[in-house]
Amino acid sequence: MQRQPAALAPFLSEQLLLSVAEELKLPLTQIARKAEQLRLTGETDLSAIQTTADNALKLLDSYILGVQLRLQPEQLAPESVSVASVLYDTGQQLDALAKSYGVALELSVTGRFGPVLAHRRGLQAALVSLGASLIEALPAQENPQLKLQLATHRCRYGIVAGLYSETPSLTNQALQRGRQLAGRSRQPLVNLTHTNGAGVFVADTILRAMNLRLRTSRHHRLYGLGAVMQPNYQMQLI
Amino acid sequence: MRILLIEPDYVLAETYFKALAAAGHRLVVCAGAQSAVLAADQHKPDLVILELQLVEHSGIEFLYEFRSYPEWQNIPVLLHTVVPLAEFNTSWELLEHELGVRRYLYKPHTRLSELIEQVAQFTPVASETP
Repeated sequence: MQRQPAALAPFLSEQLLLSVAEELKLPLTQIARKAEQLRLTGETDLSAIQTTADNALKLLDSYILGVQLRLQPEQLAPESVSVASVLYDTGQQLDALAKSYGVALELSVTGRFGPVLAHRRGLQAALVSLGASLIEALPAQENPQLKLQLATHRCRYGIVAGLYSETPSLTNQALQRGRQLAGRSRQPLVNLTHTNGAGVFVADTILRAMNLRLRTSRHHRLYGLGAVMQPNYQMQLI
Repeated sequence: MRILLIEPDYVLAETYFKALAAAGHRLVVCAGAQSAVLAADQHKPDLVILELQLVEHSGIEFLYEFRSYPEWQNIPVLLHTVVPLAEFNTSWELLEHELGVRRYLYKPHTRLSELIEQVAQFTPVASETP
C-alpha cells in the first residue's frame, strides 16, 4: 500500500498538537511564577526564565519540524552523520535545562563508530526533545537518580543513539501504551513523567518521519530510549 | 504553619518553596505520593498542598492513603493542580466530601500572591484543638 504522508499528517499533528499545547503550560507557568517572584523580591537574575523560554521554543521548533517532515518527506535528504557529534551537540543544547533541574548530563561514547545515514537536523531535534522530557521527569521520580547519559552503542540491528538513566520504568510496554494514549490522556507515560510527555511523542514523530523508530534500550546497566540507525558502510570504505 | 508541598516539578517546587517560606511558613517538599506519606508521618503538617499529576501513584491515591490514618483525618488539603476543574465532573464531590479537599486552585492561573493568601486562611491544626 502506498504511503500517503499528506493525508496522515493532519490527524497525527492534531493529537500531537494537543500534547504540545498542554505541555507548554508547564514552562509558561514556570515563567509566570518566576517573574512574579523576581518582582516581589527585587531580584534581577533572569537566567532561569531565559532557560525555560528557550526550552519551550525548542519543543515548538521540534514539533514544527516533525509535522513538516511528515508533510514533505522530500526534505529528508539523508546525509552521513557522526552519532558522537550529534550526541555532543544534543548535550550542549540540553545543558542549561539539565542544570536548572539539578540533573547531571554525561556523554558516553566509547569505542569507534562509523557514520550513519540519517537526517542530521531531524535526529538532533528528536534527541533534544526526548532529552528535555527526561530531564523534567527525573526529579519527579519517587527515588530520583539525577543523572542522564547521552550514549551510543552497537546492537544487532545497527547503531543506537539514545538517552539513559537509572529509571527502570522505561519499558517497551510503557512506551507502547503511551503511544496509544498520547493526546487522549493527561499522563500517557504515568510511570515516567508527571507531564504529558509531549517531548517523547514529538521525538517519536520526527523519527517515524525519518523511517526510524524510538525504542526502549539498555546501555550497560541503564534504561533508556533511543533510535537505531544503519551504519553508512560506503563512507567507512573511504 | 508547617506545610507539606507535594509538587513533582523541580523548578516550580523551588519557586513555591521560596515564596511560601518568605511568607513565614515551614515547608517540606515531596515529588511523589510515597515520599509524601513518609514526610507527613515525620513532619506532622498543618496543611497539605497537593498536585494530582504525580509519577506512578496519583494525588488521588495519596489522598486515600493519607485519609486512612485517623491522625490525618482533619489536616486540610489544598489542591493546587494543572488539572482543570471541568475535568473532575462528578469526582469533585468525592474529593470534597470523602477525601476532605478544602480548596481547589488551578495552577496555571494561580499567582504566588493568591497562593500565599489562600494558605494564610488555614489555621494550624494544633490551634484548632482546645
